[in-house]
Amino acid sequence: MDTVISLSLARIAIEGVGKTWQGRRGAVEALRGIDLAVGAGEFVSVVGPSGCGKSTLLSLVAGFATPSTGSVRVDGQEVTGPSPERGVMFQDYALFPWRTVAENIAFGPQARGVPRRERRDIADRLIALVGLDGFEDRYPNELSGGMRQRCALARMLANDPAVWLMDEPLAALDPQTRIVMQDELLRIWGDEREAAQRRSVLFVTHGIDEAVHLADRVVVLARRPGRIRAVIDIDLPRPRAPHRNAPEAARLVAEIWALIRDEAVDAIREET
Amino acid sequence: MRADRIAAIATTLAVLGLWQAAVWFADAQGLAPAPLGIVAATAKHLANGSLRAALGDSFLRVAKGFVIAIAIGLPLGTAMGMVPALARAIAPFLDGLRAIAPIAWIPIAVLWLGVRGDAAVFIVTYAAVLPLALQAFQAVRLIDRRLIQASQALGGGWALTLWAVILPGSIPVMITAMRVAMGFAWGAIVAAELAVGTKIGPGQGSQGIGQMMIETLYVKRDVDTLAMCMLCVGLVSLAIDAGARALGRRMAPWTQ
Repeated sequence: MDTVISLSLARIAIEGVGKTWQGRRGAVEALRGIDLAVGAGEFVSVVGPSGCGKSTLLSLVAGFATPSTGSVRVDGQEVTGPSPERGVMFQDYALFPWRTVAENIAFGPQARGVPRRERRDIADRLIALVGLDGFEDRYPNELSGGMRQRCALARMLANDPAVWLMDEPLAALDPQTRIVMQDELLRIWGDEREAAQRRSVLFVTHGIDEAVHLADRVVVLARRPGRIRAVIDIDLPRPRAPHRNAPEAARLVAEIWALIRDEAVDAIREET
Repeated sequence: MRADRIAAIATTLAVLGLWQAAVWFADAQGLAPAPLGIVAATAKHLANGSLRAALGDSFLRVAKGFVIAIAIGLPLGTAMGMVPALARAIAPFLDGLRAIAPIAWIPIAVLWLGVRGDAAVFIVTYAAVLPLALQAFQAVRLIDRRLIQASQALGGGWALTLWAVILPGSIPVMITAMRVAMGFAWGAIVAAELAVGTKIGPGQGSQGIGQMMIETLYVKRDVDTLAMCMLCVGLVSLAIDAGARALGRRMAPWTQ
């Protein structure tokens, strides 16, 4: 995998992006000078200490906010707002509490004007894909954390978006469930299939091991303001599941941790 | 739990007994209401249909006023929640209006709408519309922004976002708001009918439970019937509240 993907080939092209939030206590510079390209079918993880602006970066690509400087383009088009072409998975899932699992999943097709029966078919297929059979008529508050996560993934997939934007989607799970869901996510993404069948993923996480296990490249951010510190290629073979505990994976995790450690300690000291 | 319930029933019976005994010993029948007198008054007014008619009139009036209040208050509050500029323009005005008690409007309502009952409907509408609008406003504002973002990222336009996210998201708060507003409305109807009723002779005017109380006070001087009316006002409040809760459970099954 090339470290640098030319911007013309990129699905997601982030150029010179900075973001300053205007808050009650003055301006906060969340991001500065971010250049990043995500290729077609590429899985890119973003890690960094608290306050490095990883979630801000994702919301700029999602179109929930606009950059203060620079530009974000997806498939050559400037991002000006949210679009069903860019699927988003939120940290706390943001499922609609008043919709059952099937109704949550059918929301995207409903928004696109797909007829009711087809919506039902799409939902059924995705429920089977993510393993929620038997739970289609449950409300989100009746589900475990892992099931909500599956439901949120299926809801995002229902539009078959070209780009998956994921903001710490596994953070709220217990460690065992998280490991299971990482491999599930890879399976659904196409870890076992050819690269051409995969979607482009921008995956924000706190977990360095998670980032290494999932991604083709890991972007390490520094904080205050958030900027790119390093981009690490992960050349582990796919499918990844058998390589979870490979020595090479452990070496990469250690390398990335060494980049983040000092700032992470600072961040924790400031927060406590 | 069982013991608690037995204790509560025993306390109630003891209070009723003491109350009845006190009225007897003080020889205050006709001046102070007593439990047995209230039972007799209730039996009489149930038998001749006047209690049912009075409560029915009042309730119908509250229902009318409340429907008007919902039709104005919920869309107004929802619009305020969705358009901050509108909220900034209107909210101070609504807050100011809220400081004027509904019953302070009675004279001008009577002047405009007459004493037959429309004035009382106006008072009910006024009493209910402000809490409904302000609560609807809050309900929309308190909706998790991520849910709105999720809708947009799934391709939801503003109409679907309003219909499928903002409205259902505000139902639990709206139900609570309706319970509170219904309480205000029912309280206001009694006050309005009382006030409107004083201007009229017996058998005229607004009818309703407030009218029945005025008539009882000035014409019949029957304290037991007055106490019966008070109890009925309380019972209707409880019934309305229970009904609104049941409605909330039906309309928001996901909150169970």
